[in-house]
Amino acid sequence: MNKQGGSLLQKEGTRTVLASLISIVIGLAVGSVLVLVVGLFSSNLGLASAWEGIRLIFLGLFSTGRDQVGVLTWGFNPRSVGNMLFRATPLILTGLSVSVAFKTGLFNIGAPGQYLMGTMTTLAIALGIPSSALPGPVIWLLAFLSGILAGALWGCIPGLVKSFLNINEVLACIMTNWMAANLVTWFFDGSKFCNTVENTKSGYIYKTSYGLTQVDGAWTYVDGNGVQTAKLGLDKLFPGSQVNGGILIAILIAIGIYILMSKTTLGYQLKACGSNRHAARYAGINDKRNIVLSMAIAGALSGAGAALYCLAGNTEFFWSTYQSLPAEGFNGIPVALLAANSPIGVVFTGCFMSMLNIVGLQLTNLTAYNEYITDVIISVIVYLSAFSLVIKMMLNSRKKDKGLDAAPGAPSPDSPSEPDGSDAVSTEKGGEQA
Amino acid sequence: MRTMESENIIEMLHITKEFPGIIANDDITLQLRRGEIHALLGENGAGKSTLMSVLFGLYQPEKGVIKKNGQEVKINNPNDATALGIGMVHQHFKLIEVFTVLDNIILGAETTKMGFLQKKEARAKVEALSERYGLKVDLDAKVEDITVGMQQRVEILKMLYRDNEILIFDEPTAVLTPQEIDELMATMKEFAKEGKSILFISHKLNEIMAVSDRVTVLRKGKYIGTVDAKDTDKQSLSNMMVGRPVQLEVTKKPASPGEPVLDVKGFCVPARGHKRNAVNEVTFQARAGEILCIAGIDGNGQTELVYGLTGLEKSSGGTVTLCGEDISHASIRQRGGNMSHIPEDRHKHGLVLDFTLEQNMVLQRFNEKRFQTAGFINQGAVREYAEQLIEQYDVRSGQGPITVARSMSGGNQQKAIIAREVDREKPLIVAVQPTRGLDVGAIEYIHSQLVAERDKGRAVLLISLELDEVMSLSDRILVMYEGEIVGELDPKQTTVQELGLYMAGAKRMDMTKKEGEGA
Repeated sequence: MNKQGGSLLQKEGTRTVLASLISIVIGLAVGSVLVLVVGLFSSNLGLASAWEGIRLIFLGLFSTGRDQVGVLTWGFNPRSVGNMLFRATPLILTGLSVSVAFKTGLFNIGAPGQYLMGTMTTLAIALGIPSSALPGPVIWLLAFLSGILAGALWGCIPGLVKSFLNINEVLACIMTNWMAANLVTWFFDGSKFCNTVENTKSGYIYKTSYGLTQVDGAWTYVDGNGVQTAKLGLDKLFPGSQVNGGILIAILIAIGIYILMSKTTLGYQLKACGSNRHAARYAGINDKRNIVLSMAIAGALSGAGAALYCLAGNTEFFWSTYQSLPAEGFNGIPVALLAANSPIGVVFTGCFMSMLNIVGLQLTNLTAYNEYITDVIISVIVYLSAFSLVIKMMLNSRKKDKGLDAAPGAPSPDSPSEPDGSDAVSTEKGGEQA
Repeated sequence: MRTMESENIIEMLHITKEFPGIIANDDITLQLRRGEIHALLGENGAGKSTLMSVLFGLYQPEKGVIKKNGQEVKINNPNDATALGIGMVHQHFKLIEVFTVLDNIILGAETTKMGFLQKKEARAKVEALSERYGLKVDLDAKVEDITVGMQQRVEILKMLYRDNEILIFDEPTAVLTPQEIDELMATMKEFAKEGKSILFISHKLNEIMAVSDRVTVLRKGKYIGTVDAKDTDKQSLSNMMVGRPVQLEVTKKPASPGEPVLDVKGFCVPARGHKRNAVNEVTFQARAGEILCIAGIDGNGQTELVYGLTGLEKSSGGTVTLCGEDISHASIRQRGGNMSHIPEDRHKHGLVLDFTLEQNMVLQRFNEKRFQTAGFINQGAVREYAEQLIEQYDVRSGQGPITVARSMSGGNQQKAIIAREVDREKPLIVAVQPTRGLDVGAIEYIHSQLVAERDKGRAVLLISLELDEVMSLSDRILVMYEGEIVGELDPKQTTVQELGLYMAGAKRMDMTKKEGEGA
């Protein structure tokens, strides 16, 4: 038993998870200190509010509001959990996008652009095809696939530029981000998809639950006539939340990416190019093709995230994107980093990042803290997610120190290559060769 | 003024230096006498460099003391070492390429007057030193424009300029021609005669026997012993170094060359960043059942020639025919069909260091039917194949097939590459410096593998900078100088000296005439 525990601690994976957890805890702790300091120095807050704030930061997901006397109540909150899963969907996919690129040695900072292009085409297909022309699920599928395709094509651009012109993909990605932002604004500006039915929603695109429908001979958008992702019973599980089947699709895609990267020859090639482009070339692997392919897959994943978010049917897209890029795209980077680029890990870190959003909402709703403090906490954790590599290195060196101490004491039956043993072996083998 | 004059100028007593997971120096004692050349001999990873880094102040030992003239000293950084008169010529020179030779020599020890450089005084001093020891350098040339041999003389002058009396040479001969090595040896003896003390790190037994007075041998971080050079011989030194009897000479039957496997005609490869060709109009044939060696000083186009032949670099002219097939413009994978390649840089090209050993073993072959089904890697087959290679070629690693390549020793990484390449059973093996940086035991093994492949009727194209290797392993030698083949020699009939003259460009054959005769 003991031995197993030791080997578990020495496992690379365990250390990775540990490093990520440490960064998360440090991030939350820093956030708590911040909440405490703000609480103590604000006139409308105090130590009591600060204590509430700190508890909410750690356990916000399980907050169920306040009771009559104004004490915070705790328990399973289906609405929060459901919303967390809903918001996690795009984050998981952009996280996968960044991690696939990372594994192949590329930094995909172009996820926001790919995400926007996915959004644009998904909305255009979902809202552009009249509801009467095709059955809803078919439109949904077309819109979903077109979002993936658009993201893939947009991701190809930095890949092509990198492999054939040797221009750094980070530069190309940043530029394609802003190209996408402006392209999308320009496209929707001239389109008929802008919401004119609900007055307060000017500046937004119709939800995909609106469908292009002929009413009295005129084409108008009617709510409930469009497409939206099937709930698959999840709304029963998490009543009151926005959750839908998208999260299951995201998890399936994550499993698919895991299989692709670790079980297939394509994944092998991509990783070989990523870890050592020279060695891959030496072995006759087409490194240029693989760079483009890797960026295309990364783009497709971002596009899929955008498509699933748009197609939920209850989301609205603010189309004047030329001034800002979608946070879902950039947040894919910390999601991937915290997960140490493991596709399965991304599912969990994606959920964690969206949980922080929920925590922020709870903090604003239940206390006098404003929502920006959660943004600070999120950014601290984002910062520390990059730090998780450093923490992992520290863990590694500690483990090695310990290993050194333990080595002489450890019995040698399961490690025949102890110095003395190998000496003897080498003498024998040498004798044979001589 | 003068304290007790002890016999030992530097004493390193019971030095222990640990790194996480490894004891690099375990209770090592080294005593350097005044005016002697003391060789430090050991295989790669024996702890030579660590010990010297401790002496030079780059590492702090956990245990042990360093004494100079019998007085204990503390060396916390290289500045302390310099102040104690310790100077070091590193294996990889520490020169600023765009500075002139003079600027490099005085850098860090400039003579100044009111903050202004006094280059005239410095120049006079350097010139005097250069004159006195016959260390010819061009003081106004930029370092990037001078030869490697001259760069080394600059490094030596740097030590002399600082009036160092303890000189450390870390593998100084690796980059030199035989003639340059002879000169260096003479210079070192001259220094010793003047009372300077020299520590000479090497694993080349010939050189150690030629210059050193005493030899200290390290093995796996442990002190093995110190012997007088005149009381020992190469064989017993190598036994001490490796810990078992080793075979220094390659034993092989005479070659029986068959049909040409590789036919290279008028082959040119462009140089990086230059207009001229790095490989210029090279023509030769490699025949089945022979080891053809391309000798030459590093940087004379050997690397580019291999890049051109293997497809890593595009050629700019000429034809390459492999097994009767024109591969001048073939892809790397197509060429790999008849050629295996043991690359010069095992970390850059040979291995994906973050992959496991088994993943590295199928680097070229993962697409073969045996290792994949419909795009899915056949894990079991890969594991089985890796285990078979590990067993057959005696590749040692911590966890067998699932060891991460990065964690393996250099020798075993190279063995893994050789296992992979040899086992692909291609008619041509291109081996580029296959034993570079390896210890005697691994070299012995790799040489025997290459000879075995030759005897199976494969053509081996060996590119080597080590003269001993060239002379003992090859059946035919081509010498490359400035991108051209300047001589074809028979190792049985030539001498190291003659080979050196070709390598340095002092002698050349009319190769076109030779080809004419052949055709």
